[in-house]
Amino acid sequence: MTELILKRVAAGLAIVFAATAFIFILANGIGDPAVATLGPNASPERRQEFRVEHGLTDPLPVQFGRYVGAAVQGDLGRSFRDNQPVTTVIANRLPRTVLLMGMAMSFQLLFGLALGILAALRRNTWFDTGFMGLAFLGISIPSFVSGPILLMVVAFRLGWFPIGGYGVTALDHVVHALLPALTMAIIGTATFARIMRSEMVDTLGEDYVRTAKAKGLHPARVVLSHAARNALLPIVTLLGLRLPFLVAGAIITEEVFNWPGMGRLVIESITSLDVPVIMGVVVITAVAVQIGNIFADVAVGLLDPRVRQARG
Amino acid sequence: MPSTRRSESVAGLIGLGVLAVIALGIALFMPDQPEAPRYMGAGHDEPQRGGTFVFHHEGDVRGFDPHIAFDELSNMGIKLLYEGLIDYDRDTLDLVPRLAESLPEQLEDGLVYRFRLRDDIRFADHVVFCDDPEAATQPCDGREVTAEDVRWSLEHMLHPDTGSPGVTFFELIDGFEEFREGEASHVSGIRVLDPLTVEIRLQRADQTFLFAMAMTFAYPVAHEAYETYGEDVARHPVGTGAYVLEEWEPGVRVLFSRNPDYFLPGRPYPDRQIFTLNLGRIPAVMRFRNGEIDHIHRQTPADYRLLKSYEAWEPYRVEAPNTDIWGLGMNCEMEPFTDRHMRRAVAFALNTPRWRRARANRLLLTGQPIPATLPGYDPDLPGAHHFDLDVAREEMRLAGYPDGYPEPLTITMTDGETARFYGELVQQDLREIGITIEIRQVSFPIWLQQTGTRNTALMALQGWSMDYPDASNFLDILFHSRSIHDTDSENKAFYSNPEVDALLDEARVEQDRERRLSLYREASRIIVDDAPWGFTFSNLQMEMWQPYVRNYRPHAVWSNMFRDVWLDLPRRRVAWQQMPTRSVPALVPFGRPR
Repeated sequence: MTELILKRVAAGLAIVFAATAFIFILANGIGDPAVATLGPNASPERRQEFRVEHGLTDPLPVQFGRYVGAAVQGDLGRSFRDNQPVTTVIANRLPRTVLLMGMAMSFQLLFGLALGILAALRRNTWFDTGFMGLAFLGISIPSFVSGPILLMVVAFRLGWFPIGGYGVTALDHVVHALLPALTMAIIGTATFARIMRSEMVDTLGEDYVRTAKAKGLHPARVVLSHAARNALLPIVTLLGLRLPFLVAGAIITEEVFNWPGMGRLVIESITSLDVPVIMGVVVITAVAVQIGNIFADVAVGLLDPRVRQARG
Repeated sequence: MPSTRRSESVAGLIGLGVLAVIALGIALFMPDQPEAPRYMGAGHDEPQRGGTFVFHHEGDVRGFDPHIAFDELSNMGIKLLYEGLIDYDRDTLDLVPRLAESLPEQLEDGLVYRFRLRDDIRFADHVVFCDDPEAATQPCDGREVTAEDVRWSLEHMLHPDTGSPGVTFFELIDGFEEFREGEASHVSGIRVLDPLTVEIRLQRADQTFLFAMAMTFAYPVAHEAYETYGEDVARHPVGTGAYVLEEWEPGVRVLFSRNPDYFLPGRPYPDRQIFTLNLGRIPAVMRFRNGEIDHIHRQTPADYRLLKSYEAWEPYRVEAPNTDIWGLGMNCEMEPFTDRHMRRAVAFALNTPRWRRARANRLLLTGQPIPATLPGYDPDLPGAHHFDLDVAREEMRLAGYPDGYPEPLTITMTDGETARFYGELVQQDLREIGITIEIRQVSFPIWLQQTGTRNTALMALQGWSMDYPDASNFLDILFHSRSIHDTDSENKAFYSNPEVDALLDEARVEQDRERRLSLYREASRIIVDDAPWGFTFSNLQMEMWQPYVRNYRPHAVWSNMFRDVWLDLPRRRVAWQQMPTRSVPALVPFGRPR
C-alpha cells in the first residue's frame, strides 16, 4: 500500500512539473506582458524597465528555474496587474471555487447515485428509460448552454434564485452558489447516474446479492449495503477522474454566473497576460487534481483488495 | 449490440419527450417578462439626499490611483473619490473650474498657465493624516489642499519611478526632460507662488495643455498616502472627491460612502454608491430589469433590441456615439499600399451600411478621422469615405489593377469573435474589387506589437478612443509623422504627409478656436483623400437608468459618471400587467412575439 502511494505521489509530482513547464513556455510565448500590463501608451523605456524588473529579459530556462525554486518554497511571485502576491490573490479566490465545486460535487453524487440506483431497480420500465434518456441529454448539454438558460428561466423569470454574483454574507454565498452548482452538476449527475445504473444492474445479478436476499435481509439493506456498496468502486475512481472536468466546468460556470472564483481569475489573468497569476492558478490546480486522484486511487485500494494486490 | 443501440435511441426519444413536457410546464406557469420599469420614483422635484446608488461593470477594477489608472473602469471610481483643478462640463465639453477658483489665467501668449485654488478644499479624513498611521484605528482629520500639493502631485506623477502612463501628455512643461533624466529634483516649470497659487510654464505654447490638466493624471493627491502605502496606494485612495472608499471586496464590489468634508455643501446626494464588479452583460440586464441595479451601459445585441423595443423605458435611455473612431488601417510603407489609389480603392469598397446592419445598427458611419462628438467633425466633409463601388473600381484601375490584385493580402486582427466577424466583412467586401484577403488573428498584445512595428502588419482593423476631447488627440497621434516609430508606433499606418504635419502643428498653438477647428477640418480632408485608413464608424452606446435615478445623463467626456445623481426615494413598485397565464403567447418561453 505504501509503495502504491509513493508511486502515485512520484507520478503526481512529475505530472505537476510537466504541466508547470508546459504552461510556463506557453504563457511566456504568447505576447509581451510589458505591453499588456502597462498599456499601449507606456514608453518603450518604461516597458524595458518592467521587463528587467520582472526578470523577463533572462533566457526562459533561467526564468523557469527561478520560478520553480521560489515555488517550492511557497512563493508564487507577484501579480503583474496589481502587484499583490499571487498566493494572496489565489487565497482570496480559491475558497469560493472550492465552495462551488464542493456543492456541485455533492449535488451530482446525491442525484446521480440515487437516480442510478432507482433506475437499476426499475430496470426497463418507463422510469428507467425516461431518466436514462434525460441523463443522455444531460451529458450532451454543455454548461455554457444550460447556464444562461437556467439563469434566464429560473433566476430572472421565476425569481427563485439570485441572478448570478457572489453575495455578501456567508449564507448569501451558499444561496448564490446554488444555481451555478446545479448547472455544473448536470453533466456529473448524468455521468454518475449512467455508471451507477449499469454497475447496479451487474451487482444485483451477483450471487452474493441473491444469497443476501435468500437470507431474508430487508430489501433496502440488500440494495444499499450489498449491491450499492460494491457498485460504488468505479464511482470512486470516476470521482478522481471527474475532478479536472469539474475544474474546467468551473471556469465556464463562473463566467456565466459572475462567480468571482478561480475560473474567472484564470480568464482575467489570461486576457491581461498576468503570467504569474496564470502560472499560480495552473500549479495550484494541477496539485489539487493530483491530490484528488491519489486519494481516489488510495480509496479504491482500500475498498478493493484486488487492486492492492495487482499493483502492489 | 444492436439492441443496446435501439434501447439508447428509445431512451433518448423518451428523454426528449420528458424534457419537452418539463419545458412546456415551465412555459405555462412562467410569469411574463416585464416590459416596463418595476420601480418608479416618489415624484420629488427637488434633489433629495440619501439612498444607495448601485452601478456595475463587467470587468474587475485594478485600483484607484489617479496617476496610474488609465481605464474606464478605474475612472468610474476615481471620479467619485477625487477631483481635479478643472473638469469638463457634462453637456458642452467646455472646461470648468472644480478645485480651482476659476479657469487658469493664460500669460505670455499661452506659454504660462496660472491656477488659483479654492480656499475651502480639504482631503477626506484618513488614517494617513494621523501622527502614527500604522497604529491609528480611526481616521484623522484631512488637511487643507494647497498649491504645494498640486506641485507635489504633478512631480510624483511625472517621476520615472511612478510609471504613470500619462507622462507624455505633460512633456511640454518646462524642465520636463531634466526632471525625467534625474538632472533636477524638481520640474522647473512648476512654481508655487503662494499657498493657493501655482504656475505652470510650457516650453512652447500649446492649446491642448489644459486638456492634460483636466485628466486624472493631474489630480492632486495626498503625499502622506503615498508615503504610507507606496504602490499599494491604489487600494487606499485619499482624495478630495464626493465619496470615500468604505469597503472593497476584490472582484466582487466596492462600497463608497459620502465624504462629509466635500467642498460642495449638500453634495453628493446619495449616502452610498455600490460598484458591482465582474457582472456580465446578460445578468446585469436581468438585474437591472429586476430593479437590483440602477444603471446599465452595455448589452448583448439580443438584449439591446429587446430593451429598445420597450416604450415604457424610452424616457430612461439614451443612445449616443462614443468618442472613438474605427477603420481599416493600411501600412503606407508596404506594397501595394504605397500607392494612394490602392488605399482609396479599399476605403471606398468597404460596404459599411452592411456592417451597420450586421451589428444591430449600433454603428454611426462617419467615414472620417474626427469623431462626430468632437468639434471639428464635418458631416459634409468632402471626400469622406462612404461605400461606393464605382469609385473603388476606378481607383483600382488607376492603381493599375483593373482586374483585381494578383496576390492575397493579409489582415491582422485581434482574437475573439467580433474581430473575426469584422475580418470576414472586410474579406467579403474586398472580393468585390478583386482583392483576396487572408485573416490572421493574434492576441491583443501581439497585435499591438506587430501593428506598431515598421514593415510588419500590412492591414489591420484600427480603433482609437479619446484621451481628451480634442481633434488633436486623434489626428496628431494617429496621422502625424512625429508619431511614427520603428517599434511601438502610434501612427500604425506609417502615414507621413508634410502638409498634414504643418497644419496640425499650426493648430496646436492657434488660440482662436474657430481658426483652430478649420485647420483640423482641412487636415481631415487631406487625410481622407490620402486614405491611410479606410475610415468607417464610431460605436453607438445605449445607457439606461432607473426612473427613480435623477439628474443623470451621459457625460460628454467621462463614461459612467455618477457623482451628481440623486435618488427619488422611496421608490414605488409598479404592478406589472400580467398576461392571462395560460394564453398562447405565454407558451413561448423566451419573449413573447411582438
